Amino acid sequence: MSGQPTALEKILAFVDERVGLKHLQAKMLNEPVPGGSRWAYVFGSVLLFIFIMQAVTGILLMFYYVPSADHAYASTQYIIHEVDYGWFLLSYHFWGSSAMVVMVFAHMSQVFLWGAYKKPREMIWLVGLALFGIVMGFGFTGYLLPWDQRAYWATTVGVEIMDKTPIVGDFMARFLKGGPTPGQMTLSRFFVIHVMILPATLMGLAGLHIFLFRKAGPAGPFRGSVEELKAKTDYFFPRQIWKDMVAMGAVFFTICSLAFIEPVVLLEEATPDPGEYHPEPEWYFLFLFQLLRLKIFSGEFGQFLGAIAIPGAFMALLAALPFIDRSPERNIFKRPVALVGWILVMAGILMFTVSAIINREFLD
Amino acid sequence: MQQPKLKSTVQCTDREVGEVTKVIVDPITKEVSHIVVGNGAGEPGRQVPMAQVQAVTDGTVQLRTASTDLAQFPLLKRDEYVTIDEVEIAHLEDHLHVEPGEVLIPLPELERNVKRRTFFANLTHAIGALVALPLAFPVLKYLMKPMYAPLDNHWIKIGSANKIKAEDVGVQFKFKKKFKEAFMPEAEIDKNIWVLKASPAVLEQVYKGKDQIFLDATGREVWINKQSVPYVAYSGKCPHLGCGYKWRAHKVLGQVFLCPCHLSIYDASGKVLDGPAPRPLDTLPIRVTGNGDIEVIDMEFKAGKKEQVRIV
Repeated sequence: MSGQPTALEKILAFVDERVGLKHLQAKMLNEPVPGGSRWAYVFGSVLLFIFIMQAVTGILLMFYYVPSADHAYASTQYIIHEVDYGWFLLSYHFWGSSAMVVMVFAHMSQVFLWGAYKKPREMIWLVGLALFGIVMGFGFTGYLLPWDQRAYWATTVGVEIMDKTPIVGDFMARFLKGGPTPGQMTLSRFFVIHVMILPATLMGLAGLHIFLFRKAGPAGPFRGSVEELKAKTDYFFPRQIWKDMVAMGAVFFTICSLAFIEPVVLLEEATPDPGEYHPEPEWYFLFLFQLLRLKIFSGEFGQFLGAIAIPGAFMALLAALPFIDRSPERNIFKRPVALVGWILVMAGILMFTVSAIINREFLD
Repeated sequence: MQQPKLKSTVQCTDREVGEVTKVIVDPITKEVSHIVVGNGAGEPGRQVPMAQVQAVTDGTVQLRTASTDLAQFPLLKRDEYVTIDEVEIAHLEDHLHVEPGEVLIPLPELERNVKRRTFFANLTHAIGALVALPLAFPVLKYLMKPMYAPLDNHWIKIGSANKIKAEDVGVQFKFKKKFKEAFMPEAEIDKNIWVLKASPAVLEQVYKGKDQIFLDATGREVWINKQSVPYVAYSGKCPHLGCGYKWRAHKVLGQVFLCPCHLSIYDASGKVLDGPAPRPLDTLPIRVTGNGDIEVIDMEFKAGKKEQVRIV
């Protein structure tokens, strides 16, 4: 047990000499977190974890899934009913996508409430918004792939909504559908977008997001003097990473539980006749769905307003936020407009989602 | 005051005591907070706060203390610090000017000609454009191939008129439509159309005194629905956002066409009674053959528009 290095140590030293692992590891782990680690900071790491799990389960699903109009449904049923643990991997992937949306909302809310989008972090916020759009795109394209009635009708309505975009709407809708009506071309296009284009874009943008975050450094708490912050500061490793890991574990456990309790069950195979099925989008689009039922969003213009203009204006407002809200004040309790705005948006989404659910019973 | 540089000589009020061996930086303010004064005797050096520094000039740091008081400052505990290579603090380097002078590397001979650098940079972009631009159009056409299919004006038999027992009641006709897409083998898809045997009153609401003419893409007449024919066919696609609607009882409005998606409601003549739909239900070309079979042209129109825009 003298000073002689073991074989493993020799290998590590060999690699380190060529890669600079220790230096890289030190740089990655030794990032001061101003004011110390917090549970509020776990969402970004959790999102990365969920994405990796979606990639893993998604790749596994592709071993059996066939993206063609006459095999997509049968191959998905095969995964659910025949392949060992296929039901679990598919259900994990399904619930993972919901978890992704929940965590995106939590992450964006935390950044918003902490005022962490302000100078010098405007670009992190902008890239984050693009990532939000990509997550929504994942949800929308993935929903079609099982090719059951739910999938078919969510896509039919979703693409009709996109069609209402001025000037480019018709082109966009036909481009996505690969024709005038949903069919094989739609499935092919959604598939390649879901498994190739969006993951590549997400990986690139998430890399940029983290790079920009490291460049600007964490924002830290919105109150406390420099001395107080310094006294509480610790490094990313170990306390923050420990909290992140606990959160990831909890999310993993939750998704697994949901996959066990509510495994994915397909409806009838997709066809342009809805039969007895009442079309409805995934729960995180329910508020928009319910919004479009309102009288004020009726007619061609009303529909444009509800489906395109208002969501578009809202996203534009979020993108412009760091440039409109230039005051350096980050304390949410001293930013009444921001606080009230956040509460109103969340309450609105909640209200419309709940009323969409109540409307279900009313329809049966 | 400029930042004390490494290797600078340290002067106390009475005499020279050594040199700056290290500097310590505050991670929040990113300014130098302490200098470490080493006397060359092998001990780790004393940690002197910047408040004790009176003046910094090139090569020397002047302290406010006497050399005899230097011992009151603590010795550096190296374990309590990391180097700037081992930690990531944003923009730290921008604030530090403590190195004793610049570290230089000679520029290769060939890199000293600025004109050639510009030329090569431009050439790189030009070749990139040369590769990308000719591809743009073929790629676009490649992706657009299936987007604009010709309109389909075939008559399809959907069932027998005998199925309709009462007037002004929506009856759903389900039928199989042959469907050939790109490379796929011809398939059959389920479709549905609502047919009404209309009373004269409803017929009047549908036609408003005029026969209905259907045109193809070039403006040529495809078919005329005569207002004297009592059978009216509605496309199964809701004109709001394309869902499938049903004929069902409504508490207030009686028997209506109701779409479960966004709750558009239409009467038997297809008129919007309630909900967000922008136009009435779409009537289709319909004819009844001698033996009572109903045939239609299964047109589809873009949902969500005030005007009918035919897409199939």
